[in-house]
Amino acid sequence: MPDHQSLMADGVSRIFSGRAVVDQASLSLAPGEVTALIGPSGAGKSTLLRMFAGRERPDQGVMRAGDVVLSDPSRFVPVEKRRIGLVFQDFALFPHLTVLGNVMFGLQSVAKPERETRAQAWIDRLGLTHRRDAYPHHLSGGEQQRTAIARALAPEPVAILLDEPFSGLDPTMRDQVRQSALEAVRSANIPALLVTHDANAALVHADKIAVIGNGTIRQTGAPEEVYRAPNSLSVARALGPIHRVKTRLLPEAWQSALKTSADTLWYRPEAFQIGTGEACTVSRIQMAGPITEIALDLEDSAEILAASPAARFTQASAWKSL
Amino acid sequence: MPRFALSIRSIPPVLLIALVGLPVLVAVWAGLTAGGGATWDHILQNRLVPYSLTTIWVLILAGLLMFAIAVPAAWVISLFDFPGRRVFSWALILPLAMPGYVMAYAWADLMGVAGPLQSSIRDATGWSARDYWFPNLFSVPGLAFVLASTLFPYVYITARAAFTMQSAATLEAARSLGTTGWGLFARVGLPVAIPAVLGGLSLALMEAAADYGAAEFLGIQTLGVGIVRSWNSFGEPNTAARLALALIFIAGSFFIIAKLFQGQRGTQQTSSRWLNPRRTELPPQSAWIATLSYTLILLICFFAPVARLLWLAIESRATAVELWPLVQSSVILGTMGTIGAFIAALVFTLSTKRNRELRFGARLVAAAGYAAPGVVLGLGALFILRETGQALTGWVAIGFLLWIYVSRFTSAGVEPLQATLERLPKNLDNAARSLGARGMNQFVRVDVPLLAPGALAAGLILFVEILKELPATLMLRPFGWDTLAVRAHAYATDERLAQATLPALLIVLAGLGPVLLLSWRLSRTERT
Repeated sequence: MPDHQSLMADGVSRIFSGRAVVDQASLSLAPGEVTALIGPSGAGKSTLLRMFAGRERPDQGVMRAGDVVLSDPSRFVPVEKRRIGLVFQDFALFPHLTVLGNVMFGLQSVAKPERETRAQAWIDRLGLTHRRDAYPHHLSGGEQQRTAIARALAPEPVAILLDEPFSGLDPTMRDQVRQSALEAVRSANIPALLVTHDANAALVHADKIAVIGNGTIRQTGAPEEVYRAPNSLSVARALGPIHRVKTRLLPEAWQSALKTSADTLWYRPEAFQIGTGEACTVSRIQMAGPITEIALDLEDSAEILAASPAARFTQASAWKSL
Repeated sequence: MPRFALSIRSIPPVLLIALVGLPVLVAVWAGLTAGGGATWDHILQNRLVPYSLTTIWVLILAGLLMFAIAVPAAWVISLFDFPGRRVFSWALILPLAMPGYVMAYAWADLMGVAGPLQSSIRDATGWSARDYWFPNLFSVPGLAFVLASTLFPYVYITARAAFTMQSAATLEAARSLGTTGWGLFARVGLPVAIPAVLGGLSLALMEAAADYGAAEFLGIQTLGVGIVRSWNSFGEPNTAARLALALIFIAGSFFIIAKLFQGQRGTQQTSSRWLNPRRTELPPQSAWIATLSYTLILLICFFAPVARLLWLAIESRATAVELWPLVQSSVILGTMGTIGAFIAALVFTLSTKRNRELRFGARLVAAAGYAAPGVVLGLGALFILRETGQALTGWVAIGFLLWIYVSRFTSAGVEPLQATLERLPKNLDNAARSLGARGMNQFVRVDVPLLAPGALAAGLILFVEILKELPATLMLRPFGWDTLAVRAHAYATDERLAQATLPALLIVLAGLGPVLLLSWRLSRTERT
């Protein structure tokens, strides 16, 4: 089977005790791209992932890898026949095998001498060369994670599914690990699905974002596009903080500049910039690391919650020799 | 803070530790210092080596048998659906209710020349008893079979737990890498579960090493049998002491292995999303094989022996009249022993909550008592009696017997209490204290209600263990204090099996209590 094929879900549904947990969801994952699936908990992320993995059978709809039907009303390819790599939140490494043993595990059909060469190549590629003979409980979180990715990619799967793979990692190293891990995934040139609750990480690292809500895919697109032009409130909410304000409470100048007839407007905190325009009353300022949150007073005891780079307020202390 | 502060509060646990540990210590000390010289050669060649070899041979066979029965069963029941799976899932624990000696009586009768199995072979073929070969239960493999068929649930329980909890996500990962069927078992399931399985197996082997009743009834010269014979029949206390040392060594090493492997469990956390591997339907043919094999195992290890004992009891019109004094002494000894062991367990658990040295000491002696076979503790008591010049009669004997019960079973009471305690939030104690509850007040208002569920389980387990106990009771009971177990054993070894049936059945009936409690707990953990 050639690798460069997409993985597709076409109108799939999964019903648990009368309720559609996934409802007519359609999603196409292109090869060489990391698609992040985000949405609130209970939206159907994990059920959709499990259906892609072949652990759960859709009640409706078709799933395909390229031209091969993985599941439709009449047939269902089980997990072990799908050749879809899985990376779990807790990595699920085989505790009785070394890094090499873990990576070689899926290479049973490969001739014995080649098995080790191929596993070794993936181990080198993920920077685990020096940990080759270590057992999982001696590895750091990041190393376990990279072993899990190497193990999933070594058998040359047709796609890879990553289930919250970064949430168990130490926050200080998360970004760096995520970057190098996803590079390896991309280089395999297969469709990759990254299920995550971390919208920021998805915006930074994914090539495409799919937002799921109430079991349906609400919007799919490039991170920039989905963030800037969400097609619904729920999509906008899924990607970051968003606040509401009554149009008539805004300063006149802003109202006319916005040219809108809507009663209520939704805005992201960073939509406001500090400059020399309209004068506003600042009621609160709160440091929040790299940004500073500012509350602006409006009439009727309403307020606007804006965010601005912290450097504007603390220029002097942003640099320091340590 | 000083490393070891001997305050007034630590006196009761220290005394208890001494009390619980003394019988084992005496037995070990007697074994180490037993006279040497010419007799040592005799002991070594005629007693120690043959008895030890027989014991080891029985344990190897029993271990293999238990592994073969329990591990595949646990795997199939954890991961596949087939007719009767839910029932087998808990029913396979039932054999634990049968003491080894009861299993031996029932199967000796079932397999005897006049028993139903051989009779039906003769009826069907027209042969006479000399025309065919039939397996002999009164042999080393026979004893191994009897012990394995009552003790395999230990292995089954640990293997089940390992298969369902530990490797849920790992199994899923293995499947996504293309592994199925028995490959999953051989390449992932078994290797991942092996520490837990070996832990369970060691525990079962420790129990098997402690057996006295089944071996004595079947006439197999194990160390347990040898110890009692050396003391009673040969009048060789030195031999008994040496044999006891060997038996402590064997049983103790299994206990240590079990504990070592237990510590290795739970190193992996599992994401909730992939917990509980979904069971797959077995194809019809395999499903029938599974259903049939587990029905057969249950039949062999529980229902057939129980049914045979019932049948014998009814057929011989055994009356319950002479049972009454046995029940009485069993219940009195059981209750007193339970109270003693329970108090010891409670003191150990509560008084050592904050003191690590004391806790270690308490756990160590409790474990040593638990790992030491009843024969060894009984022997320790006999040595103490001899040294103090006391006679084994009346209340002295009862006192010593209760002491041995406490020494042997305190650990069985500590476990459920400790488990209850460990589930509670660590700061509960501090919260109670910050609200002004201390000492007795805290004990009544906080500890008692919290420990109640664990205490109930502990009490039940203790009572049944003491009821089933045979060798120490046999060695130490005063005249007129025969228990159900003692009398069943006396009748059975006297070839008056019909009379042994009623006391044996009562013991099994009582044994069902803790077993059902255990299976209820297991099925509850499976559901959550």
